[in-house]
Amino acid sequence: MRHNYGKIRVVLYGAGTFLVLLSLWQIAAMTSNSEIGFPTPVAVIGRFFHMLSNKVGSYTIWGHTLWSLSRVVIGYLLACVLGVVLGLTMGWFPYVKALFKPVFDLLRPIAPLAWIPLAILWFGIGEKYKYFLIFIAAFVPFTLNSYAGAVRVDRQLIGAARMLGASHSQVFFRIVVPSAVPSIFSGAQVALSNAWMTMLAAEMVRSSEGIGWLIIAGQGINDMTQMIAGMLAIGIVGFLLANGMRLLERRCLVWNNQGK
Amino acid sequence: MNKKVKVQVTDLTKRFGDLLVLDKVSFEVYEGEFLCIVGPTGCGKTTFLNSLTHLYEPTSGKILFNGEEVNLEKHNIAYIFQEYSAMEWLTVRQNVRFGLEIKKDYKNIDRKVDEALELVGLTKFAGYYPKQLSASMLQRVVIARAFATHPELLLMDEPYGQLDINLRFKLEDEVVRLCKQTNTTVIFITHNIEEAVYLGDRILVLTNKPTSIKEIIMDELPHPRDIAAPEFVEMRNRITDLIKWW
Repeated sequence: MRHNYGKIRVVLYGAGTFLVLLSLWQIAAMTSNSEIGFPTPVAVIGRFFHMLSNKVGSYTIWGHTLWSLSRVVIGYLLACVLGVVLGLTMGWFPYVKALFKPVFDLLRPIAPLAWIPLAILWFGIGEKYKYFLIFIAAFVPFTLNSYAGAVRVDRQLIGAARMLGASHSQVFFRIVVPSAVPSIFSGAQVALSNAWMTMLAAEMVRSSEGIGWLIIAGQGINDMTQMIAGMLAIGIVGFLLANGMRLLERRCLVWNNQGK
Repeated sequence: MNKKVKVQVTDLTKRFGDLLVLDKVSFEVYEGEFLCIVGPTGCGKTTFLNSLTHLYEPTSGKILFNGEEVNLEKHNIAYIFQEYSAMEWLTVRQNVRFGLEIKKDYKNIDRKVDEALELVGLTKFAGYYPKQLSASMLQRVVIARAFATHPELLLMDEPYGQLDINLRFKLEDEVVRLCKQTNTTVIFITHNIEEAVYLGDRILVLTNKPTSIKEIIMDELPHPRDIAAPEFVEMRNRITDLIKWW
């Protein structure tokens, strides 16, 4: 009961801050004499709902969001598979580490956006360069966290498995991989946020659909309301993705949440 | 009486850089024997056991199990560590199954797991995860996992250090009973002299670093042993004198 009361209070505090900020925005927009005209939150929310059923360019905001999400999903999943495999094997097999770690360490500080010119030259201005950029953005955290998870595996557990007669592959698949899962999930969360941000940049550079395009198109016609409505969509989808990932993590790591 | 040698250790030596930890240790363990190893704290007892099982490669020396080089994938050896080594992502039941699965011993696997859980009193907690258990319960999970595999050789490195005294007595008695019943050979490391006298058939007393064998003592007191009996106290005092480091 007490616990529920605490939860309600947290939600109320959050909602309160939100309402105060919206009110301040509304007052500021109504009293502003800027020539461009700063849209009120009421106007932005109105436009947002309008775009849910009315097309901007070729799609409604649902369609644009689906385009953006599909790009993120493809780049993200590819990064997940390759990053986890590379990270775990680098963390566990010394020769894989010797082969790939120096190259990875050299490439990982390069921001995903720095790849844009090269990516366009390599893959053209279609979908592939966007997948590539999102892949790069998600690949680094997936690899780093999988690597850390494999390196930090409890030696006692490895000793116990070996003493029970586990082969090298059994130790890897039955001890190292499950031990690294919490770390991989931490990487997945960072990778998701990186992928989502990089997708917007990729769409703003060159695209004819997606939320990034929606914002850039708004700028092209001086429609600040459309731009902010697009930003609102980014926030909502980003929030849902992050919470969805947290939910998935809680479901997959039941054992890690027990006793907390 | 002709006793079959289960483990033969000859001139086992282990160095970490310049530090000589084990200095030409030689002894044998007989089939079905409960050998306790005692020594001063920090004398290298764990290093000794890890070298024995090749978790650390010995610098030199030979260890034979059933007359062959130790092969962990082939020989049925279980090791109960000082620290808990329960897999956090597996339930208690899955942890106990783990050893049998690794050994691909699927015959009557559920019955074996049930028996092992019963032995350590964790039947009611079979569906729990390690993070939900107390320290003593965690160690019992590990003991159950070891016993479920019916090992030929059981290595125990101060396994009861974290347990409360009642549970400790209960498990000590259970381990002795089970090992005698299944003719399991045990090497049991402890710094608790009373525990060594209570459990062992022989007690191997180690010196401080570099570790070597100071004396091997026969412990032929009848089971169950009475820790207040004069012979028991006499043997405990004798070993205490042997490993005095103060």
